[in-house]
Amino acid sequence: MAVLHAWRAARVTPLGELHAPPRMTAVLVRLVVQVVLVASLWSGLYANTSSSAGMSREQAITYAVLAVLASRLRELDQYAGRDTVIQHMHFGTIVYWYLRPLPPARYHALRALGEQVYGAAWALAGYAVCLAVGVVEPPRSAAVAGVFVVSLLLGQLVLYHVMLLLDQMCFWTVRNSAAMLILIFAQNLMSGVYAPLWFFPEWFRTLSTFLPFQATLNVPLSLYVGRIRLSDAGEQLAIQAGWVVLLHLFTRFLWRRAARRVISQGG
Amino acid sequence: MIGSIEVRGLSRTFNTTVRRPGFTGALRSLVNPERVVKHAVSDISFDVAPGELLALLGPNGAGKSTTIKILTGILTPTSGEARVAGVVPYEERERNARNIGAVFGQRTQLWWDLPVKESFAILRDIYDVPKAEHAARLKEFDEILELSAFWDTRVRHLSLGQRVRCDLAAALLHDPMVVFLDEPTIGMDVVVKEQVREFLRHQVEQRGRTVLLTTHDMTEVERLAERVVLINHGRLVLDGTLDEIRRKYGSTWQVRATLADAHTDVVPPPGITVLRQDGPQVVFGPDGADAPTVHQALKAVIERYEVTGVAIDEADLEDVMRAAYVHAGPAGEGA
Amino acid sequence: MNAVRTAWRITRLNFRSQLEYRTEFLLMVAIGAIWQVSVIVFATVLLTRFTGMGGWDSSEVLLIPATRMLAHGLFVLFLGRMHGVGRFIQEGRIDIYLLRPMPVHRQVQLQYFPTNAIGDLTVAVGLMVGALTRSRLDWTAGRITYLIVCLIGGMLLEAALFTAVACASLRFPAADYWGRWLEELLGTFGSYPLNVLPRAVSGLLTFGLPLAFVAYFPAAVLTGHGHDTGVPYWLAASSPLLGVVAYLAARLLWRWSLNHYTGVNG
Repeated sequence: MAVLHAWRAARVTPLGELHAPPRMTAVLVRLVVQVVLVASLWSGLYANTSSSAGMSREQAITYAVLAVLASRLRELDQYAGRDTVIQHMHFGTIVYWYLRPLPPARYHALRALGEQVYGAAWALAGYAVCLAVGVVEPPRSAAVAGVFVVSLLLGQLVLYHVMLLLDQMCFWTVRNSAAMLILIFAQNLMSGVYAPLWFFPEWFRTLSTFLPFQATLNVPLSLYVGRIRLSDAGEQLAIQAGWVVLLHLFTRFLWRRAARRVISQGG
Repeated sequence: MIGSIEVRGLSRTFNTTVRRPGFTGALRSLVNPERVVKHAVSDISFDVAPGELLALLGPNGAGKSTTIKILTGILTPTSGEARVAGVVPYEERERNARNIGAVFGQRTQLWWDLPVKESFAILRDIYDVPKAEHAARLKEFDEILELSAFWDTRVRHLSLGQRVRCDLAAALLHDPMVVFLDEPTIGMDVVVKEQVREFLRHQVEQRGRTVLLTTHDMTEVERLAERVVLINHGRLVLDGTLDEIRRKYGSTWQVRATLADAHTDVVPPPGITVLRQDGPQVVFGPDGADAPTVHQALKAVIERYEVTGVAIDEADLEDVMRAAYVHAGPAGEGA
Repeated sequence: MNAVRTAWRITRLNFRSQLEYRTEFLLMVAIGAIWQVSVIVFATVLLTRFTGMGGWDSSEVLLIPATRMLAHGLFVLFLGRMHGVGRFIQEGRIDIYLLRPMPVHRQVQLQYFPTNAIGDLTVAVGLMVGALTRSRLDWTAGRITYLIVCLIGGMLLEAALFTAVACASLRFPAADYWGRWLEELLGTFGSYPLNVLPRAVSGLLTFGLPLAFVAYFPAAVLTGHGHDTGVPYWLAASSPLLGVVAYLAARLLWRWSLNHYTGVNG
């Protein structure tokens, strides 16, 4: 019940952004420009081809634009609010997470929930606009739409746990910026943020199947555009669910260990 | 007992690895690291009664922060036991969290990007404080701390003094019985310091909260603390009321005299020694175990010399504590 | 000369300090390399899949990402601390730098040694070598000189853009966000022949954000596509000059912004 009572913790990051109109304008501008650029690029690439890597022009553009919109679901700016774990470790304010009756794990999860709900509102609005303008195609059938939504939810859960893992690393290494950068980049590249994974060489795609990143975005978007057929959807959803369970168990274990590491500076 | 702190034989050691110097040393450290055991806290025992304000003193690195971290439930002791308001903090962290409030000097628990009031609202939610109670308490804090002037401002725009006042309010929002303050007034100006002290006094006297205060500011100790615990090198070195300590270590005094004749050969009376001499200005101090009191010394100096000006200085708390630190010695024994 | 000696000494110290954390050092070299390899995989994969893009032969098109990456690597090595300076401004570092008898810009660049640049450059050089060997051009002395000049121009242009963002960061802490976006744009769109995009969009990336001048125009001029870029030939060919001018302007802007700097609050 403490979860319900601490609902305000969920809106920390969105509220911080709402208090900073310049930041919201910047985000809006970036989204619009990104969508235009990305749609143009893929149109341009497909000028002389009708299909590549099993994706048609429309599929590729839809995928790319949806990936841009999904960026709102993937990363909200905690850094500006000095609310990232690494900043808390740096300033020593992480102690307060352990002084409250709300367990740090629950606070972290609540906060992420709020961010994703807020991001989803943005993404949905953007989706509606793009659909109206015709930049993205609607899903082929209601079944596809349904499967997509389930896959997206699972993907978000996987993503949350991956980000949580990155945050938890901060409890162990103070100077871990390099490792984190590698993971963040790998995470973006292998999720299909930069380009659908289907375009990458075979070895790259095989490598991706062993990592959870492609489950966060590539799977749901591929289902949406139809690159993954409905008949294969069940298998993909199962893999996503598997990652959720695995990562959840691992991060839960890490939370317990992390608590022992909150030995901030000072004597 | 409600709102009391009990510490029995608390010890905490840390295992750290020491890096060997040089390149080969670094390689060896990777394979065969040298482990060093650091005794942050060794066998500390003390009590704080409900409604008491205890000052926890000690030089930097003495183990004060470690002690507070154990009492707030963040660290588990290697041996010994502690109880805060009847709860063992490191075993029942969440239950303990409801009973305590904490302010750690330079670190804020407020949300950087949000208005202060919003941080208060979040904390109210987390601690399940009823709305009416919350409003009443904020009003009470506002009276002394003058928060309403800036509680709509985002935390990033607050000055240090404003922020610490807000942190104090945030720590007490849920009406904790026990409050831990780790150098709360460090770096603040005199006016705000006084405000904070008044606030703390009010909380202890009117509301009966138990406060454990760490500080380097002796004025603060003088104005607020009834009892003092001195920790050095992880060991408890002193535990007593201010009066007791003064009586034990506050025997230093100074008599500053301006002699009429600058060239007088100054041979001080028995039990008195010359600490400094600068022309006609002479500073006398106590000498040995049979030194007189400051008033007797004053009388002796005036009787022996012709003085045009004289002043006496009784030991202030800083001198007393310095004497106590020195007396305690690096080994930590003796008190 | 004293300034150069001081700068060199500080750089050596910074480098040594990075060596202190051995794992971190190696990882940073690795991240530079991995990052670049991934971007290469990404760019080359797309470039080779969609052959004949905008009339570019696959043997020529690799020159664009190669030029871009090498210019970027040079930027990171020499002038890269301007990127992300918003963080340091918030920590009050500029206030400290203003008290020292060294130009603030130099102090910013000497903050730490960019270990990731090692990996960056290694891979970029590799890609450039690959692109050069694949290309069927006649690499005369003139061409090579022009390439080098363009690389320097590209480095200066990128530096100019990030310096401009840094100037904004002096007043608005949120400007860092634009800096990150800028890096993303340069990275993702800097490696393509921009004539595949609609005129309006490629115009945006030429005159709105001078992305085209970093790698696309130089590569176009070198490979003989200089007349199909959508801008006059002389404009495309003067990319390096634009880089120099832009950088000088950015430095003037930096000086102006620093004079109007009001310090960090809280």
